[in-house]
Amino acid sequence: MADAALAGLRVVEWGDFIAPSYCGKLLADLGAEVVKVELPGRGDRARRQGPFPNDDPHPEKSGLFLYLNSNKLGVTLDPATPSGRTLFLDLVRWADVLVENHLPSWLEEQQLDYAALEPVNPRLVMASITPFGYDTPYRDFRGYALNATAGSGIAWRIGDPDRAPVWLPLCAADYQGGVHAACAAMAAVAARRLTGEGQHTWVAEVELMGSVLGGSQLARYLYQGHEVTRAGNRMRQFYPWQVMPCADGYFEIITMVDSQWASFIDLMGNPDWKDDERLANRWLAWQWADDIDAYWAPWLKERTKAELWQAFRERHISFQPVHTTAEVVESDQLRERGYFVEIGHPDAGTFRYPGAPYRFSETPWAIRRPAPRLGEHNALVFGEWLGRSAGDLVALARAGVI
Amino acid sequence: MGKYALSGIRALDLGQVWAGPLLGSMLADHGAEVIKVLTASRTWGAMMKGASPLNGGEDEVRSFQTYDRNKYGLSLNLRTEAGRDLFLRLAAKSDIVLENFHPDVMPRLGLGYDALSRANPRIIMASLSASGATPGPWRDLVTYGPSLAALYGLKSLLGYHDSGRLLEDTADLDPTAAAHAFLALLAALEYRERSGRGQFIDMGQGEAALCRIGEAIMDYTMNGRVWGPQGNRYAGFAPHGVYRAAGDDRWVSIAVGSDDEWRAFVEAIGAPQWARDPRFADGYGRATHQDELDARVESWTRERDPWEITRLLQARGVAAFPVLGSPGILVDPNDEALRQNVRIDPSLEGRIQASQMLSGVPWKHSKTPAALFRPAPALGQHNDYVLGDILGLSAAEIARLADEGVVA
Repeated sequence: MADAALAGLRVVEWGDFIAPSYCGKLLADLGAEVVKVELPGRGDRARRQGPFPNDDPHPEKSGLFLYLNSNKLGVTLDPATPSGRTLFLDLVRWADVLVENHLPSWLEEQQLDYAALEPVNPRLVMASITPFGYDTPYRDFRGYALNATAGSGIAWRIGDPDRAPVWLPLCAADYQGGVHAACAAMAAVAARRLTGEGQHTWVAEVELMGSVLGGSQLARYLYQGHEVTRAGNRMRQFYPWQVMPCADGYFEIITMVDSQWASFIDLMGNPDWKDDERLANRWLAWQWADDIDAYWAPWLKERTKAELWQAFRERHISFQPVHTTAEVVESDQLRERGYFVEIGHPDAGTFRYPGAPYRFSETPWAIRRPAPRLGEHNALVFGEWLGRSAGDLVALARAGVI
Repeated sequence: MGKYALSGIRALDLGQVWAGPLLGSMLADHGAEVIKVLTASRTWGAMMKGASPLNGGEDEVRSFQTYDRNKYGLSLNLRTEAGRDLFLRLAAKSDIVLENFHPDVMPRLGLGYDALSRANPRIIMASLSASGATPGPWRDLVTYGPSLAALYGLKSLLGYHDSGRLLEDTADLDPTAAAHAFLALLAALEYRERSGRGQFIDMGQGEAALCRIGEAIMDYTMNGRVWGPQGNRYAGFAPHGVYRAAGDDRWVSIAVGSDDEWRAFVEAIGAPQWARDPRFADGYGRATHQDELDARVESWTRERDPWEITRLLQARGVAAFPVLGSPGILVDPNDEALRQNVRIDPSLEGRIQASQMLSGVPWKHSKTPAALFRPAPALGQHNDYVLGDILGLSAAEIARLADEGVVA
């Protein structure tokens, strides 16, 4: 039996909501021992977020929390209290990696920033996730995923020209913060093998969204003077690249390959408009998209998702249906891949969860335990690992430290 | 040595278009020796043409391709017996092979994981296909990032919540897949440190992207509820929106995530009568009356400059930030560092700097920072280094391979 890829890696996750939780989950699902630190009596924001089974709110039954915290051990601890600090520093000594998402100025006030933690554990990799980074004028601005997306240039390009710009929904910026922090942390772990030392690594959600997800957006502006702006249901780079209604839903209509576009025209019976000279160069045709759409949008609108998909698949055309989450979860594809995993939880019950983002031939991704209840592993972590007595634990709990 | 996080790691990069090349660049930025393997007939492809810092001829497009910066260039025709043999010899001296073809392409070339691991049991292969390598009805679909986002449900959430109409975007499929694949590669390297064994990583890019809509999936599996387009809204936050500010097409984002933040917001805007309405006093009330709340908030924002709003709200600890487009980002009035780094400079150095800032891996490391070592290679620019220095071929042998079209 092969062990997990990150077996033996010790991670302390001290933060709130999606970004640090997703980072910790990625590492935990790969086999790292992740201790999630939550505030006593309050816990992670995701515990209050839901969705809840039968819409019945309960801090141990939030779907988002349960999803983001599989495979972790959970402790309650407030490192901003004097006794909590001592325990926290013990955890820092134990850890290879600390993941956190506090504001830089607050960490400095608390003397829990990297400069303070490095002497405690010189081999520590500290991975920080903030909305605006450490090295910008906005380092201490408050920001949620919405604000990071707004500042990144991404929202600027999504929406109707005369309506509000739109973010990438469901806190995409936080998930990006989480996965990139995990990458940055593992790069620092790799560096530690070469240098023997830990280091501080940080990601700014606004930069991740702007530079990594932004793709060519800024480069096109800088070098070509072309500003990507809101164009509703299409992108103005080549034609067709748009989301279009059909009889019972939507289709994504995109291709860069001339033969696929020709197949589409052929499927419609080679109408005369195919010779419209504005279509000759599809890298320019987006300028007349409204006119050209009018040729074929009615044809699409008269047909169902199923019949269009069948026709496009037979001709190897890259147009795909916009599936609902129900169609995705119930798809034969993901059933055959075994993508969704069932996880049973003592309070919430058993549900299907999103599964592995990758498959390893030697070190399988695996769910070994459900998300922890609030403070579930205090005795194990503080008692057995860090050597606090049962009496200490009672006193710390009574004082609200854990 | 040892200055960069991935010093000493060698990767063979067969990436195409976006996800694969981006993954290769993440490795290269941290000091891995990444060898981009291409043939003249399979160049960088048109997809990222717009990303080229120089909008010049095809050579320049290739030379300055943002996602191939820091890499070495080897031109090798993998459809020839000798080309395949050279690739396997190179794999024997490498740590990583990465590609984002259809899952049948590498096995058909005789370069599937089985062949690579026979050549080098320590090799780690990352295969980023649309829907994974194992059987399934979507395995062979032809997709781009946006159509893959449609197929895997992400697109169904992107649109205005009131009209229900869907909106387009380049989608985050490719970069999300690349980041997850980087993590997978580093995890596999950790395992190899302990075991001495490489492995095969099979990624369906759609599956990696699906990991980021957990709430929507869980509401379906828990309650059978299907989410439609979300606009700028998010449960538990109100106000949570993008509001019109003073000026032409200027906007500001505001997110209030708790009653404390709401009270701070009300104070910051001068506690007008409407804001003290008890219906808005708690999160439930604000969520229930969110349309009216949004209209009220916008009546305040539309009289003010987005930066003024941002400073006013941030001073009270309320999350707010202007919506910026490319010009707004590049001429950020507050960011001296940004203005210094982005120079439209005819020199190579200026262009590299800008390309790093624009499409870089924005992970900051205090002791082993990523770096720019060299611009993207011209086709086959490093053939002599790779075939001569790494594989030990003589100049005559390399010349013969070029004559035979193996190195082309």
